[in-house]
Amino acid sequence: MGIQERLIEDVGLRRGVSRLTPEKIEKTIGAVLKGETGARLATYAETCMRCGLCAEACHFALSHPGDPSFTPAGKVHQTMSVLLDRKGRVDPDFIYGMAQLAYTECNLCRRCVHFCPIGIDTAYIISVVRRICHKLGVTPQYIQDTAHSHSAVFNQMWVKDDEWTDSLMWQEDEAREEFPGLRIPLDKEGADIYYSVIAPEPKFRTQLIYQAAAILHMSGKDWTMPAHSGWDNSDMCMFTGDFEMMGRLKRRHFESAQKLKVKRIVMGECGHALRSVYDVGNRWLGYSYPPVPVIHAVEFYWELIQEGRIKLVKKFPGPVTIQDPCNIVRGKGLQQKLREVTRFLVEGDIVEMHPNMEHNFCCAAGGGVINCGPPFKNQRVAGNTVKAEQLKATGVKTVITPCHNCHGGLHDIIHHHKLGMELKFLSDIIYECMEKPEA
Amino acid sequence: MKRTLPLLILAALTIVSALATVQAVMAQDAITKLAPEAFGTLTRPPAVFVHDKHNEKAKLEECVVCHHGGSDGKIDKSASTEGTPCVECHKVKPAGKATNLKRAYHKQCIDCHRAKGKGPLACGQCHKR
Amino acid sequence: MNAAYEFVTGPLAWLAWGIFLLGSAYRLYSMYQLALKKDAPSVSFMDLGFSLRSIFNWLIPFNALGWRKSPVMTVTTFAFHLCLIAVPVFLVAHVTLWTEFFGISYATLPDNVADIMTLVVLAACLVFAGRRLTQKEVAYITTGKDWLALTIVTLPFLTGFLAYHQVFDYQVMIVAHIVAGEIMLAAIPFTRLSHMVFAAFTRAYMGSEFGGVRHARDW
Repeated sequence: MGIQERLIEDVGLRRGVSRLTPEKIEKTIGAVLKGETGARLATYAETCMRCGLCAEACHFALSHPGDPSFTPAGKVHQTMSVLLDRKGRVDPDFIYGMAQLAYTECNLCRRCVHFCPIGIDTAYIISVVRRICHKLGVTPQYIQDTAHSHSAVFNQMWVKDDEWTDSLMWQEDEAREEFPGLRIPLDKEGADIYYSVIAPEPKFRTQLIYQAAAILHMSGKDWTMPAHSGWDNSDMCMFTGDFEMMGRLKRRHFESAQKLKVKRIVMGECGHALRSVYDVGNRWLGYSYPPVPVIHAVEFYWELIQEGRIKLVKKFPGPVTIQDPCNIVRGKGLQQKLREVTRFLVEGDIVEMHPNMEHNFCCAAGGGVINCGPPFKNQRVAGNTVKAEQLKATGVKTVITPCHNCHGGLHDIIHHHKLGMELKFLSDIIYECMEKPEA
Repeated sequence: MKRTLPLLILAALTIVSALATVQAVMAQDAITKLAPEAFGTLTRPPAVFVHDKHNEKAKLEECVVCHHGGSDGKIDKSASTEGTPCVECHKVKPAGKATNLKRAYHKQCIDCHRAKGKGPLACGQCHKR
Repeated sequence: MNAAYEFVTGPLAWLAWGIFLLGSAYRLYSMYQLALKKDAPSVSFMDLGFSLRSIFNWLIPFNALGWRKSPVMTVTTFAFHLCLIAVPVFLVAHVTLWTEFFGISYATLPDNVADIMTLVVLAACLVFAGRRLTQKEVAYITTGKDWLALTIVTLPFLTGFLAYHQVFDYQVMIVAHIVAGEIMLAAIPFTRLSHMVFAAFTRAYMGSEFGGVRHARDW
């Protein structure tokens, strides 16, 4: 049992490991542990009583019953504990397994927080492991490619500056047929709202930009999108452990909003981006909270509904269920607002998953795991049979999923288990049901 | 018969008092444990204490060594109080700061044992099951 | 035997308590300094209200999701920790010693209750050991440090129970009991038992992050 018995061939990991020497490994590990960690890691490592309560928390563990190497403490036991015990004197083969485990078998979803009486943050420990892997240059190829994209063009998908504005203008052009007078205002100084998205939206989910524009247009809000880099709020560097690049990304993002003197940033239905902007990236830059107020789409729709700015011509037919994304629920407590928005939009039952809200099971895609790409897809899907069972038990056909990663993860699970369910962003439903001008 | 009645009474009295004396002496000899009724239900088994054997072994001649007198929280080593039960002065639950009965016993025994370097110190050495 | 008893209740007791108290204070102080130096972002999010909220919610059996999912462990660990603290602190014999040495006295547990609570601790230790041996997810992560911590905690209660009932040689057992207790005290700052010192703070930090920043329950 253990990571060494389920290694998956990955070009990035293999090439990274081939460049390592024991000296380099020891030096790098020492530098991260001594330079970047302190009381948090020390107390976690020392006081974890190895009670195993967290085994019940993790979707990977629950989906591999009888294999303790998938439990949160089991993962730490195979990675950080070894590094600490051996003071970084481990061999390159060990690093391969450690990297695979840290990048592809933990979603940093923090569900295990609800299981540890002492309050150990396993996601933090795994993040430190990833940080070490990054510094050693041992990262899965696919996610590293997105990190490279971030550092080259400040977005995750190699979208060039002209392609970005082209995509926005294309969507504006398309939308004006349905919504005459609709604009996607670029670089509008002093706008109330700066709408930010993740790069997969202009790349292959442009309808989400269309829908957002439609909602913002019909709600009569004063908004803008930047014509320059900084528009992408996503952050794979946070997940690879490239914190320096994470800092540059977030600085560019915040400064892009500050340059336009907007009142606040509204972000699309993405979970990890909220984590990066609201919780992790801002702190790397020294901000306790984002220097420009940031709200997630769920909060924004909730506000619009409170203000009576979303007018529906029909309700979406239920029953539906709700996927609680870890980064907006365990990350910002949006579970109630998510339900209120859903209640407003849906006619019929909202069938809750069990467990739900903060206790919901992760999609197994977040935390950069889905971004590690095809080599790890089967392991990722196999690592979340509990989610498949949980989805199936609701007996409904529609899953409201306000997070890109959850979409990706649930899509693969639904497909693999032939559950025949469809996934909906809230914006899909709002767009479908909202009042539109007479064509 | 007139003369014999007072003699008989005298004899009877003598015998009774003699018996009483013998009984008292026997009682003194029979002290093998310390369990004054004042404690009520005991928490631990009574402390084993064979009075005469202890004193013989400890070479104690003077009663006052243990049976001290005193007042106002001061021990008077000159006033011997043998025959007076400890609880007369050391109440089980005294008012104020006075030494209670349990502590008095413990102090009396353990402090001396410690000072002399002889005799039991730990709970179970006296409170034997 | 008196010399041994006098030594373990005298100099060795001072040493054990000294290591426990000063060691714990030192560990806390140095960990706090390290936190200020290396974990300032974490320290800055500490919040008393949310810390207490988290600690309070975790102190209620079956309140946290983790407790609900492992009921046997929940019952065991709550009973264990309660008895582990209450028996040594409120035992008649221990309070008698405090009185004898320092004139301090306070409420005590009836001996028969303390006796049962000691058995609860020993039974819990058996459950813990059984989990480490038979439950895969626990066995997998169990290390020597964990067995050491469990042994250190078991011994004072085992010897205490035997000494109280005067099984085997009482004089040997009482000295062994005192030494075992002193080893436990002295081990607290420097073994896994240090969770006694640190757990409130790791819990508090998690509570502060979840309460103040993430607006979600951490139980």
